[in-house]
Amino acid sequence: MGACAVAIAGLARHLVLLLGRPYCPEKARPAGSDAQGVLYAFTWGMLPWAKESTRRHLLAYLRGVVFHIGIGAAFLALLVGPWRAEFAGPLRWMLVALAAASGVAGLGGLVVRVAEARLRRLSTPDDFFAVALVSLFTLAAAAAAVVPALVPAFYGLAAATLIYIPFGKIRHCFYFFFARYFFGAGFGRRGVLRWGKGHA
Amino acid sequence: MPESVQRALAAFRRALDRRLLTALEVCARCGICAGSCHVFASSGELQDTPTARGEAVRRLYRRQYDPLGRIFPWWVRAGDATEEDLDALADAAFATCTLCQRCAMNCPLGVDTALIMKAARAMLTAAGKAPEMLVQLADAAVARGENVEVFRDVYREIVADLEQQVRDQLGDPTLSIPLERHGADILYVALSGAHTILPAAIIFHAAGADWTLSAFEASNYGVFLGDPEKAKAIARRIVDEATRLGVRQVVLTECGHAYAALRWEAPSWFGGEFPFRVRSIVEVLAEYIQEGRLELDPSANPQPVTYHDSCNLARKGGLLEEPRVVLRAAVQDFREMAPNRAEAFCCGGGGGLVAVPEYEEKRLRAGRKKAEQIRAAGVPLVATSCENCFLQIRDLSTHYGLGVEVTGLMELVVRALLRARTKSQPVAAVAA
Repeated sequence: MGACAVAIAGLARHLVLLLGRPYCPEKARPAGSDAQGVLYAFTWGMLPWAKESTRRHLLAYLRGVVFHIGIGAAFLALLVGPWRAEFAGPLRWMLVALAAASGVAGLGGLVVRVAEARLRRLSTPDDFFAVALVSLFTLAAAAAAVVPALVPAFYGLAAATLIYIPFGKIRHCFYFFFARYFFGAGFGRRGVLRWGKGHA
Repeated sequence: MPESVQRALAAFRRALDRRLLTALEVCARCGICAGSCHVFASSGELQDTPTARGEAVRRLYRRQYDPLGRIFPWWVRAGDATEEDLDALADAAFATCTLCQRCAMNCPLGVDTALIMKAARAMLTAAGKAPEMLVQLADAAVARGENVEVFRDVYREIVADLEQQVRDQLGDPTLSIPLERHGADILYVALSGAHTILPAAIIFHAAGADWTLSAFEASNYGVFLGDPEKAKAIARRIVDEATRLGVRQVVLTECGHAYAALRWEAPSWFGGEFPFRVRSIVEVLAEYIQEGRLELDPSANPQPVTYHDSCNLARKGGLLEEPRVVLRAAVQDFREMAPNRAEAFCCGGGGGLVAVPEYEEKRLRAGRKKAEQIRAAGVPLVATSCENCFLQIRDLSTHYGLGVEVTGLMELVVRALLRARTKSQPVAAVAA
């Protein structure tokens, strides 16, 4: 609970800092729709074929998707932890599979980050630590669901992850929603992002 | 801390709004954006990735604003700004980033590195490290606005000469180039030089448009400097002129950054929408064609033509289909370059790079990707609707031996217009 409180308080501080900065939406007469752009940004625009970068780096894209879905599964496992005994059968095994796949994807990403010279040079110690921490957290979530003796380790890693969220790069999970919103609203308003428009 | 660094950091604080803060915070350094940048695609060098450019600013941001960056700077690679940092940042922000936003379109998170680079340009301009040529051009434009009476009579004479020239050329004594006429529907804003005035005059005349020519040029170098005060001062000349003349629309010539600046950014500088519409001549051409106001004969342009999307008009401006409406009507054989529209690669000359002589080598190198695309299109003629793109692609053709000619949309339309007119009128009448 304490770790969760740190995460919530830390992210609340980020929210206050963010909202404390000025926001000047464009005042020009729109050519398209902010709302349509935002909708695009959070739906179609997230799909692998919507961007040249994800079309070209499909493996990295899929690794990221698996990693982040599994993080969600691991937090769900944490949330339902007190009622673990009541969770049996398909739901438990789905959480295990998602969290385990996420851990593998995360560690795979870490290997790529170390092995690729360009990525290694772009990365900070925080980047390596954050990916490693979250990967261990998701692996622990999967393991603890199968081996109850590992539950304390899972809780320990969950606490570390929660505490680190507001301080390190993991906080991009919070800023992600704002970034996609600004992206969608900006390009949507200018009439660039529309269904069926903007692509070759 | 050196005074220049203090000025740079003060400019950064002023620029740090919610969008910029988000762009600085959200990057996960996955590096997936690298290939989307034409500069990196051409050089393959780490410092040319959008991530690396963004990190150059994030490093300073973290030191000032991030608790971990203040306590354990090595952990998040934070650092105090130095003169050397600013010099390196000048290279990233002015010489290698054209602010084209292709990386933003390709980032899974939506990191707007162009926004970060605009903030960097503002910092560097405040620190006195912006390219001298851009500063001089912006200052000259501001001075022209402040001393308009000095040159107005001279400009009127120049325009009168151009009017006579085009009348003689077309044999049409009714064609006119009105300068700053009150109550016109359209205020047309050209660039320096006759090449953006004469074709527009012919087109407006043929379409029966109620138009007048602005006394100012469309370009806005204040935008390139990331200096909102200068950008506003330059835009104010046109805004005041349009308001004074009571026009209903301001139509900008084929110039990408001028369109992005006045159409999209300027209303925010002035606090709200203008009492007139701001449009690109490309939109107006497409409208005239769709309304049947221009009779065009595409046989005047028989050679295969491809189109280069200006980043400012397409990806940043939303003018994706309008140029294609024009081309399909004005040329016989239009072929798309791939990728195109919002996914088009920057030509490498945007962001003011074309105007800065010391960046020539870098911008030609950065244009390699565009040169490859043009070569793959296999056409002898490249059309574009931006002066900077025009100049860059012309240079790329020479540098990479592409053997292509470059033209603007207005020029193609005028050719098709005159061919149609020749066919519909007796030759003697046209010649006369």
